[in-house]
Amino acid sequence: MEWQWLPGHLDDLATATAQHLQLALLPVVLGLIISLPLGIVSVRWRWTYPPIFGIANLLYAIPSIALFVFMSQYVTGLSVVSAIIPLALFTLSVLVPNVVDGLKQVPDPVRQAATAVGFGTLRRLMQVELPIAVPVIVAGIRVATVASISLGSVAGIMGLGGLGELFQDGQQRDIPSEVFAGIVLTILLAFVCDVILVLVQRALTPWSRARKGAAA
Amino acid sequence: MREDHLITFDHVTKRYADGTVALDDFTLECPTGEITVFVGTSGGGKTTALRTINRMVDPTSGRVLIDGQDIKEKSPAELRRGIGYVIQQVGLFPHRTIRDNIATVPYLLGWDKAKARTTAMELMQRVGLPASMAKRYPFQLSGGQQQRVGVARALAADPPVMLMDEPFSAVDPVVRAELQQEFLRLQSELHKTIVFVTHDVDEAIRLGDHIAVFRTGGELVQHATPADLLANPADDFVASFIGRDRGIRLLSFHTADDIALHDSAVVPASATRTDARAALAGVDGEPWLLIVDDARRPVGWLSAESADAVPESGTLGDAGLLPIGNTFQVGVDPLRSALDSSVLSPSGRAVGVDADGAVLGVATQADLAAAIRAVAAGDLHPHALDRAGEPDEPEPAGGA
Repeated sequence: MEWQWLPGHLDDLATATAQHLQLALLPVVLGLIISLPLGIVSVRWRWTYPPIFGIANLLYAIPSIALFVFMSQYVTGLSVVSAIIPLALFTLSVLVPNVVDGLKQVPDPVRQAATAVGFGTLRRLMQVELPIAVPVIVAGIRVATVASISLGSVAGIMGLGGLGELFQDGQQRDIPSEVFAGIVLTILLAFVCDVILVLVQRALTPWSRARKGAAA
Repeated sequence: MREDHLITFDHVTKRYADGTVALDDFTLECPTGEITVFVGTSGGGKTTALRTINRMVDPTSGRVLIDGQDIKEKSPAELRRGIGYVIQQVGLFPHRTIRDNIATVPYLLGWDKAKARTTAMELMQRVGLPASMAKRYPFQLSGGQQQRVGVARALAADPPVMLMDEPFSAVDPVVRAELQQEFLRLQSELHKTIVFVTHDVDEAIRLGDHIAVFRTGGELVQHATPADLLANPADDFVASFIGRDRGIRLLSFHTADDIALHDSAVVPASATRTDARAALAGVDGEPWLLIVDDARRPVGWLSAESADAVPESGTLGDAGLLPIGNTFQVGVDPLRSALDSSVLSPSGRAVGVDADGAVLGVATQADLAAAIRAVAAGDLHPHALDRAGEPDEPEPAGGA
């Protein structure tokens, strides 16, 4: 493999990485914003969960390429938005069930005690149930983030930006080191994001980290 | 000045959609500043009754009043912030520190954060938790410690009313006894109006000022003081629910201050064989001497034979003394302790002491029997004694 392509294109790599970060992470944020209310509704009105989860799961069954092509050809054009919307929809199949599981595993005595000391429904949700669900929700965010970073490359191949464009470009112009750099950066990005999420979770849930420490 | 916070159940019925009656026309008053225990078989409606007080359950019909005011006049959340609530599984918030768990209701009431935390620290001390636990999380505490936090959380905003649903049932018997004792100590300082649910009749008798006995179907069978419940169970259900030994247990409710005490057989350890013989001459019945030290605290029992074996020059304190076992404090300990002391004593006699542990005298089993007869005469009502002869209990054919 010839490496001389790399030194002259560090700027390009940085730009592609930054773009990839945006097109992969914004969908996770959007997905979370959609999943939280959907999950809360699913737990409160149990009958809503099968249809909500069913639809979220079906969305995931759509081939990503098909959706990227559809969006860029007919809906939002050749822009990063055409990657972000499908990727956001894909995160729902992971995030909705995790929000639901997180809320469901709040112990019943805790919920009962919260009610009995005088938490209203909304306050109980915000101050008791969601905080206790954080570890399970963050576990979902980690999966969604890595999946989104990976799928984001496909969007790049479709010309929607990000590290995927390196594969496209490297293949067409026969620059293996460019393809290789794209792979390494994708993996690196996923790894760094995952580590950051683990650290964020630890900071948010000292009670959960302490639990592990005690069990060990 | 103390306000009234009595809880009134006024013909309260709870019927579920499937027709199950959890509580059937329940009427009762739980007096201010006292502990009312709801006890009974499972499905008896005691927890349902408790939960109607803070509107965790809304009755199908009837009213619940606190201090004469219908609880429906307040929103559930507002009502609940003024009522402490402790449950068996504790239900601490796992994501909050011990201090913040305790300060839950003050936070909800919008207290200043510093004030809420100071209150929480005071309460930790009050329920016997070290201040060093303030920043720990619930899972780092033992079951008994968690329940102390549960009690502290319920007390944080100083509510006049406390509801406790089997709070001490999930811990081992040693810890339970400890928590019960501390609970009574706290109550003697705080005088809350407490409704306490348990399935353990011993706990009910130990803690309750009043006991309401429930039967499956949500029916209140009897409402009485513990002593009256033991002496006069309303029917066979209550009698069998209370269980065995209720006569003995009744003796826990009478202090042993009417027992005749004798001190002619009480001799100092420094006495001689001659003194012993003189003392024994004045003792009725079995020849036993109680040896005491300079402060009149009991040292041991000495039989007449052993006293005779003491050398002329020796003192009784050096003779072969038998252990005292338990003593009872006159005017404080119940008759049951005196009886216990007698049973465990080698001499068959109970040793009565004062607050400093100095011997006031000894009681023979005949003395105890007289005191026990007095209790029975005062507490047991004749109709209760006649019950065995009532026709609703058919005699087995060809009887005894």
